Amino acid sequence: MSKLLIVIPAHNEEANIVQVVQDLIRHYPQYDYVVVNDGSRDKTAALCRAHGYHLLDLPVNLGLAGAFQTGLRYAAENGYDCAMQMDADGQHKPIYIAPMLEELEDGADIVIGSRYLTVKKPKSLRMLGSYIISWSIRLTTGRAVCDPTSGMRMFNRAMVEEFAQNLNYGPEPDTISYLIKNGAVVKECQVEMGERTAGHSYLNFWTSVQYMIKMSISILLIQWFRKRDTETPYPERSL
Amino acid sequence: MWDQPLIRIGLIVGSLIVAIYILRRVRQAKVQIEDTIFWLMFSAVLLVLAIFPRIAYWASRLLGFQSPINFVYIVVIFLLLAKQFFMSLRISQLDSKVRILTERIALNEEKVERDKLDL
Repeated sequence: MSKLLIVIPAHNEEANIVQVVQDLIRHYPQYDYVVVNDGSRDKTAALCRAHGYHLLDLPVNLGLAGAFQTGLRYAAENGYDCAMQMDADGQHKPIYIAPMLEELEDGADIVIGSRYLTVKKPKSLRMLGSYIISWSIRLTTGRAVCDPTSGMRMFNRAMVEEFAQNLNYGPEPDTISYLIKNGAVVKECQVEMGERTAGHSYLNFWTSVQYMIKMSISILLIQWFRKRDTETPYPERSL
Repeated sequence: MWDQPLIRIGLIVGSLIVAIYILRRVRQAKVQIEDTIFWLMFSAVLLVLAIFPRIAYWASRLLGFQSPINFVYIVVIFLLLAKQFFMSLRISQLDSKVRILTERIALNEEKVERDKLDL
Protein backbone atom coordinates (compact mmCIF):
# COMPACT_ATOMS: atom_id res chain seq x y z
CA MET A 1 0.00 0.00 0.00
CA SER A 2 1.21 3.52 -0.77
CA LYS A 3 2.33 5.67 2.07
CA LEU A 4 -0.35 8.34 2.47
CA LEU A 5 -0.18 11.66 4.31
CA ILE A 6 -3.42 13.35 5.33
CA VAL A 7 -2.98 17.12 5.42
CA ILE A 8 -5.45 18.88 7.71
CA PRO A 9 -5.33 22.67 7.30
CA ALA A 10 -6.90 24.25 10.38
CA HIS A 11 -7.83 27.88 10.89
CA ASN A 12 -9.67 28.66 14.13
CA GLU A 13 -10.96 25.11 14.50
CA GLU A 14 -10.66 24.59 18.28
CA ALA A 15 -14.21 23.25 18.37
CA ASN A 16 -13.62 20.43 15.85
CA ILE A 17 -9.94 19.61 15.57
CA VAL A 18 -9.68 17.19 18.53
CA GLN A 19 -12.68 15.15 17.41
CA VAL A 20 -11.43 14.93 13.81
CA VAL A 21 -7.85 13.92 14.65
CA GLN A 22 -8.92 11.57 17.46
CA ASP A 23 -11.14 9.71 15.00
CA LEU A 24 -8.20 9.34 12.60
CA ILE A 25 -5.80 8.10 15.28
CA ARG A 26 -8.27 5.65 16.81
CA HIS A 27 -9.85 4.14 13.69
CA TYR A 28 -7.32 4.75 10.91
CA PRO A 29 -3.86 4.31 12.43
CA GLN A 30 -2.55 3.03 9.06
CA TYR A 31 -2.57 6.59 7.64
CA ASP A 32 -0.19 9.36 8.67
CA TYR A 33 -1.57 12.82 9.17
CA VAL A 34 -0.33 16.33 9.87
CA VAL A 35 -2.33 19.27 11.16
CA VAL A 36 -1.29 22.60 9.62
CA ASN A 37 -2.34 25.38 11.95
CA ASP A 38 -2.83 28.42 9.72
CA GLY A 39 -2.07 31.17 12.24
CA SER A 40 -5.23 30.53 14.25
CA ARG A 41 -6.20 33.10 16.88
CA ASP A 42 -7.92 30.52 19.04
CA LYS A 43 -6.59 27.48 20.92
CA THR A 44 -6.17 25.17 17.87
CA ALA A 45 -2.36 24.93 18.20
CA ALA A 46 -2.45 24.59 21.99
CA LEU A 47 -4.97 21.75 21.78
CA CYS A 48 -2.85 19.91 19.20
CA ARG A 49 0.27 20.24 21.37
CA ALA A 50 -1.60 19.16 24.50
CA HIS A 51 -2.77 15.97 22.73
CA GLY A 52 0.61 15.36 21.08
CA TYR A 53 -0.71 15.55 17.50
CA HIS A 54 1.63 16.01 14.55
CA LEU A 55 1.53 19.75 14.01
CA LEU A 56 2.98 22.30 11.62
CA ASP A 57 2.38 25.64 13.27
CA LEU A 58 2.43 28.60 10.86
CA PRO A 59 3.27 31.80 12.76
CA VAL A 60 1.12 33.94 10.44
CA ASN A 61 -2.06 33.28 8.49
CA LEU A 62 -1.31 32.21 4.91
CA GLY A 63 -4.78 31.20 3.77
CA LEU A 64 -5.84 27.74 2.64
CA ALA A 65 -3.48 27.59 -0.34
CA GLY A 66 -0.43 28.38 1.78
CA ALA A 67 -1.41 26.05 4.60
CA PHE A 68 -2.03 23.19 2.17
CA GLN A 69 1.23 23.82 0.33
CA THR A 70 3.08 23.61 3.65
CA GLY A 71 1.55 20.17 4.19
CA LEU A 72 2.53 19.04 0.70
CA ARG A 73 6.11 20.23 1.16
CA TYR A 74 6.19 18.17 4.34
CA ALA A 75 4.90 15.18 2.34
CA ALA A 76 7.47 15.71 -0.44
CA GLU A 77 10.39 16.10 1.95
CA ASN A 78 9.43 13.08 4.03
CA GLY A 79 9.04 10.63 1.18
CA TYR A 80 5.29 10.13 1.04
CA ASP A 81 3.81 8.47 -2.07
CA CYS A 82 0.63 10.47 -1.98
CA ALA A 83 -1.17 13.09 0.05
CA MET A 84 -4.72 14.19 0.58
CA GLN A 85 -6.49 17.28 1.79
CA MET A 86 -8.99 16.89 4.60
CA ASP A 87 -10.99 19.63 6.27
CA ALA A 88 -10.62 20.15 10.01
CA ASP A 89 -14.34 20.66 10.52
CA GLY A 90 -15.40 17.03 10.28
CA GLN A 91 -17.14 17.32 6.90
CA HIS A 92 -14.80 14.84 5.26
CA LYS A 93 -15.27 11.29 6.47
CA PRO A 94 -12.13 9.13 6.66
CA ILE A 95 -14.09 6.02 5.71
CA TYR A 96 -13.81 7.17 2.07
CA ILE A 97 -10.01 7.34 2.14
CA ALA A 98 -9.59 3.66 1.24
CA PRO A 99 -11.71 3.74 -1.96
CA MET A 100 -10.06 7.02 -3.01
CA LEU A 101 -6.61 5.52 -2.47
CA GLU A 102 -7.64 2.53 -4.59
CA GLU A 103 -8.62 4.84 -7.45
CA LEU A 104 -5.31 6.67 -7.12
CA GLU A 105 -3.30 3.45 -7.24
CA ASP A 106 -5.34 2.48 -10.27
CA GLY A 107 -3.45 5.16 -12.15
CA ALA A 108 -4.96 8.55 -11.40
CA ASP A 109 -2.98 11.69 -10.66
CA ILE A 110 -5.77 13.33 -8.68
CA VAL A 111 -8.81 11.74 -7.05
CA ILE A 112 -11.65 14.00 -5.97
CA GLY A 113 -14.03 12.88 -3.25
CA SER A 114 -17.20 13.84 -5.08
CA ARG A 115 -20.62 14.33 -3.54
CA TYR A 116 -22.40 14.30 -6.90
CA LEU A 117 -20.94 11.47 -8.95
CA THR A 118 -23.87 9.08 -8.54
CA VAL A 119 -26.10 11.43 -6.54
CA LYS A 120 -27.92 14.19 -8.42
CA LYS A 121 -26.61 17.67 -7.69
CA PRO A 122 -29.42 19.72 -6.12
CA LYS A 123 -30.59 22.72 -8.16
CA SER A 124 -30.27 25.31 -5.41
CA LEU A 125 -28.74 28.78 -5.21
CA ARG A 126 -25.94 27.35 -3.08
CA MET A 127 -25.07 24.91 -5.85
CA LEU A 128 -25.20 27.54 -8.60
CA GLY A 129 -21.49 28.23 -8.14
CA SER A 130 -20.69 24.54 -8.41
CA TYR A 131 -22.70 24.32 -11.63
CA ILE A 132 -20.90 27.31 -13.13
CA ILE A 133 -17.47 25.89 -12.29
CA SER A 134 -18.39 22.41 -13.59
CA TRP A 135 -19.62 24.00 -16.80
CA SER A 136 -16.46 26.13 -17.17
CA ILE A 137 -14.23 23.08 -16.76
CA ARG A 138 -16.39 21.13 -19.22
CA LEU A 139 -16.13 23.95 -21.74
CA THR A 140 -12.36 24.41 -21.48
CA THR A 141 -11.19 20.82 -21.02
CA GLY A 142 -14.03 18.71 -22.39
CA ARG A 143 -14.00 16.67 -19.19
CA ALA A 144 -16.79 16.37 -16.65
CA VAL A 145 -15.95 17.09 -13.03
CA CYS A 146 -19.13 16.62 -11.03
CA ASP A 147 -18.00 18.18 -7.75
CA PRO A 148 -15.17 20.61 -8.51
CA THR A 149 -15.48 22.53 -5.23
CA SER A 150 -15.09 19.46 -3.03
CA GLY A 151 -12.14 20.02 -0.70
CA MET A 152 -11.49 16.29 -0.35
CA ARG A 153 -8.77 15.63 -2.91
CA MET A 154 -5.97 13.10 -3.13
CA PHE A 155 -2.74 13.60 -5.08
CA ASN A 156 -0.04 11.18 -6.25
CA ARG A 157 3.69 11.75 -5.78
CA ALA A 158 4.18 13.67 -9.04
CA MET A 159 1.32 16.02 -8.17
CA VAL A 160 2.56 16.44 -4.59
CA GLU A 161 5.93 17.57 -5.91
CA GLU A 162 4.36 19.90 -8.44
CA PHE A 163 2.02 21.47 -5.88
CA ALA A 164 4.81 21.73 -3.32
CA GLN A 165 7.13 23.89 -5.34
CA ASN A 166 5.11 26.11 -7.66
CA LEU A 167 3.20 29.37 -7.65
CA ASN A 168 -0.50 29.37 -8.58
CA TYR A 169 -1.11 25.82 -7.41
CA GLY A 170 -3.85 26.48 -4.86
CA PRO A 171 -6.10 23.53 -3.99
CA GLU A 172 -8.92 25.01 -6.06
CA PRO A 173 -10.93 24.07 -9.18
CA ASP A 174 -8.87 26.31 -11.47
CA THR A 175 -5.72 24.33 -10.71
CA ILE A 176 -7.64 21.11 -11.43
CA SER A 177 -8.80 22.46 -14.78
CA TYR A 178 -5.27 23.58 -15.65
CA LEU A 179 -3.85 20.17 -14.80
CA ILE A 180 -6.53 18.32 -16.80
CA LYS A 181 -5.62 20.52 -19.76
CA ASN A 182 -2.00 19.47 -19.27
CA GLY A 183 -2.79 15.79 -19.34
CA ALA A 184 -3.28 14.91 -15.67
CA VAL A 185 -5.69 12.04 -15.01
CA VAL A 186 -8.42 13.25 -12.66
CA LYS A 187 -10.91 10.74 -11.29
CA GLU A 188 -13.83 11.11 -8.95
CA CYS A 189 -15.03 8.83 -6.22
CA GLN A 190 -18.50 9.06 -4.67
CA VAL A 191 -18.41 10.19 -1.03
CA GLU A 192 -20.87 11.51 1.48
CA MET A 193 -20.08 14.61 3.48
CA GLY A 194 -21.31 15.67 6.88
CA GLU A 195 -22.43 19.13 7.89
CA ARG A 196 -20.05 21.33 9.83
CA THR A 197 -20.71 20.45 13.48
CA ALA A 198 -19.30 23.54 15.20
CA GLY A 199 -17.48 26.77 14.48
CA HIS A 200 -18.24 28.71 11.33
CA SER A 201 -17.13 28.65 7.72
CA TYR A 202 -15.28 31.66 6.35
CA LEU A 203 -17.51 31.60 3.25
CA ASN A 204 -20.41 34.03 3.43
CA PHE A 205 -22.53 35.30 0.55
CA TRP A 206 -20.20 38.07 -0.57
CA THR A 207 -16.98 36.04 -0.35
CA SER A 208 -18.73 33.24 -2.26
CA VAL A 209 -19.60 35.64 -5.08
CA GLN A 210 -16.01 36.92 -5.16
CA TYR A 211 -14.74 33.33 -5.18
CA MET A 212 -17.01 32.46 -8.10
CA ILE A 213 -15.92 35.48 -10.16
CA LYS A 214 -12.28 34.69 -9.51
CA MET A 215 -12.69 31.00 -10.39
CA SER A 216 -14.66 31.70 -13.56
CA ILE A 217 -12.18 34.25 -14.92
CA SER A 218 -9.32 32.02 -13.93
CA ILE A 219 -10.72 28.85 -15.56
CA LEU A 220 -12.20 30.45 -18.66
CA LEU A 221 -9.43 32.92 -19.44
CA ILE A 222 -6.21 32.83 -17.43
CA GLN A 223 -5.47 29.10 -17.46
CA TRP A 224 -4.99 29.17 -21.24
CA PHE A 225 -1.89 31.29 -20.84
CA ARG A 226 -0.07 29.29 -18.17
CA LYS A 227 3.04 27.35 -19.01
CA ARG A 228 3.78 24.17 -17.11
CA ASP A 229 7.27 24.00 -15.69
CA THR A 230 8.28 20.49 -14.79
CA GLU A 231 11.80 20.73 -16.07
CA THR A 232 13.61 20.45 -12.76
CA PRO A 233 12.53 17.47 -10.70
CA TYR A 234 11.83 18.07 -7.05
CA PRO A 235 14.89 16.49 -5.38
CA GLU A 236 17.22 18.59 -7.54
CA ARG A 237 15.73 21.86 -6.39
CA SER A 238 16.54 23.16 -2.97
CA LEU A 239 13.45 23.93 -1.00
CA MET B 1 -13.16 65.12 -28.33
CA TRP B 2 -14.03 61.64 -27.31
CA ASP B 3 -14.92 60.41 -30.78
CA GLN B 4 -11.50 61.42 -32.12
CA PRO B 5 -10.15 58.15 -33.51
CA LEU B 6 -6.66 58.80 -32.13
CA ILE B 7 -7.76 58.84 -28.48
CA ARG B 8 -9.78 55.69 -28.99
CA ILE B 9 -6.97 53.89 -30.79
CA GLY B 10 -4.58 54.94 -28.00
CA LEU B 11 -6.95 53.55 -25.40
CA ILE B 12 -7.35 50.26 -27.27
CA VAL B 13 -3.59 49.86 -27.64
CA GLY B 14 -3.05 50.75 -23.97
CA SER B 15 -5.59 48.24 -22.71
CA LEU B 16 -4.20 45.49 -24.95
CA ILE B 17 -0.66 46.16 -23.70
CA VAL B 18 -1.87 45.88 -20.08
CA ALA B 19 -3.61 42.56 -20.82
CA ILE B 20 -0.71 41.08 -22.78
CA TYR B 21 1.86 42.12 -20.19
CA ILE B 22 -0.08 40.67 -17.24
CA LEU B 23 -0.83 37.42 -19.10
CA ARG B 24 2.86 37.05 -19.92
CA ARG B 25 3.65 37.37 -16.22
CA VAL B 26 1.11 34.60 -15.55
CA ARG B 27 2.80 32.46 -18.17
CA GLN B 28 6.18 32.90 -16.49
CA ALA B 29 4.57 32.12 -13.09
CA LYS B 30 5.69 35.53 -11.84
CA VAL B 31 2.32 36.73 -10.52
CA GLN B 32 -0.47 35.18 -8.50
CA ILE B 33 -3.75 34.73 -10.33
CA GLU B 34 -5.64 36.76 -7.66
CA ASP B 35 -3.55 39.79 -8.54
CA THR B 36 -4.17 39.59 -12.28
CA ILE B 37 -7.96 39.79 -12.09
CA PHE B 38 -8.09 43.54 -11.36
CA TRP B 39 -5.80 44.36 -14.29
CA LEU B 40 -7.68 42.15 -16.73
CA MET B 41 -10.98 43.77 -15.72
CA PHE B 42 -9.40 47.23 -15.93
CA SER B 43 -8.18 46.49 -19.41
CA ALA B 44 -11.62 45.15 -20.38
CA VAL B 45 -13.33 48.34 -19.14
CA LEU B 46 -10.98 50.56 -21.15
CA LEU B 47 -11.47 48.39 -24.21
CA VAL B 48 -15.27 48.53 -23.98
CA LEU B 49 -15.22 52.33 -23.51
CA ALA B 50 -12.94 52.72 -26.53
CA ILE B 51 -14.92 50.42 -28.82
CA PHE B 52 -18.37 51.72 -27.81
CA PRO B 53 -17.96 55.48 -27.27
CA ARG B 54 -21.75 55.81 -27.04
CA ILE B 55 -21.52 54.44 -23.49
CA ALA B 56 -19.42 57.45 -22.47
CA TYR B 57 -21.83 59.88 -24.19
CA TRP B 58 -24.85 58.31 -22.58
CA ALA B 59 -23.27 58.21 -19.09
CA SER B 60 -21.96 61.77 -19.25
CA ARG B 61 -25.43 63.06 -20.24
CA LEU B 62 -26.99 61.04 -17.44
CA LEU B 63 -24.53 62.25 -14.79
CA GLY B 64 -24.21 65.80 -16.12
CA PHE B 65 -20.57 65.83 -17.27
CA GLN B 66 -19.63 68.53 -19.77
CA SER B 67 -17.73 66.14 -21.97
CA PRO B 68 -17.68 62.36 -22.39
CA ILE B 69 -13.91 62.30 -21.94
CA ASN B 70 -14.47 63.55 -18.38
CA PHE B 71 -16.53 60.46 -17.73
CA VAL B 72 -13.65 58.30 -18.96
CA TYR B 73 -11.25 60.16 -16.64
CA ILE B 74 -13.57 59.67 -13.68
CA VAL B 75 -13.89 55.94 -14.34
CA VAL B 76 -10.12 55.51 -14.58
CA ILE B 77 -9.44 57.63 -11.48
CA PHE B 78 -12.05 55.76 -9.49
CA LEU B 79 -10.68 52.34 -10.44
CA LEU B 80 -7.10 53.37 -9.65
CA LEU B 81 -8.10 54.92 -6.30
CA ALA B 82 -9.99 51.78 -5.32
CA LYS B 83 -6.96 49.68 -6.26
CA GLN B 84 -4.72 52.00 -4.25
CA PHE B 85 -6.98 51.66 -1.24
CA PHE B 86 -6.96 47.87 -1.30
CA MET B 87 -3.21 47.82 -1.91
CA SER B 88 -2.76 49.96 1.20
CA LEU B 89 -4.67 47.42 3.24
CA ARG B 90 -2.65 44.61 1.74
CA ILE B 91 0.71 46.30 2.38
CA SER B 92 -0.31 46.94 5.94
CA GLN B 93 -1.09 43.23 6.41
CA LEU B 94 2.18 42.22 4.77
CA ASP B 95 4.02 44.63 7.06
CA SER B 96 2.55 43.07 10.15
CA LYS B 97 3.28 39.57 8.86
CA VAL B 98 6.94 40.40 8.25
CA ARG B 99 7.13 41.87 11.75
CA ILE B 100 5.59 38.77 13.34
CA LEU B 101 7.89 36.46 11.34
CA THR B 102 10.99 38.45 12.29
CA GLU B 103 10.00 38.39 15.94
CA ARG B 104 9.36 34.66 15.70
CA ILE B 105 12.83 34.01 14.24
CA ALA B 106 14.50 36.07 16.96
CA LEU B 107 12.57 34.26 19.70
CA ASN B 108 13.41 30.84 18.20
CA GLU B 109 17.07 31.75 17.92
CA GLU B 110 17.19 32.88 21.52
CA LYS B 111 15.68 29.54 22.51
CA VAL B 112 18.35 27.63 20.55
CA GLU B 113 21.16 29.70 22.08
CA ARG B 114 19.77 29.27 25.59
CA ASP B 115 19.62 25.49 25.12
CA LYS B 116 23.27 25.53 24.02
CA LEU B 117 24.31 27.49 27.11
CA ASP B 118 22.45 25.05 29.34
CA LEU B 119 24.44 22.14 27.90
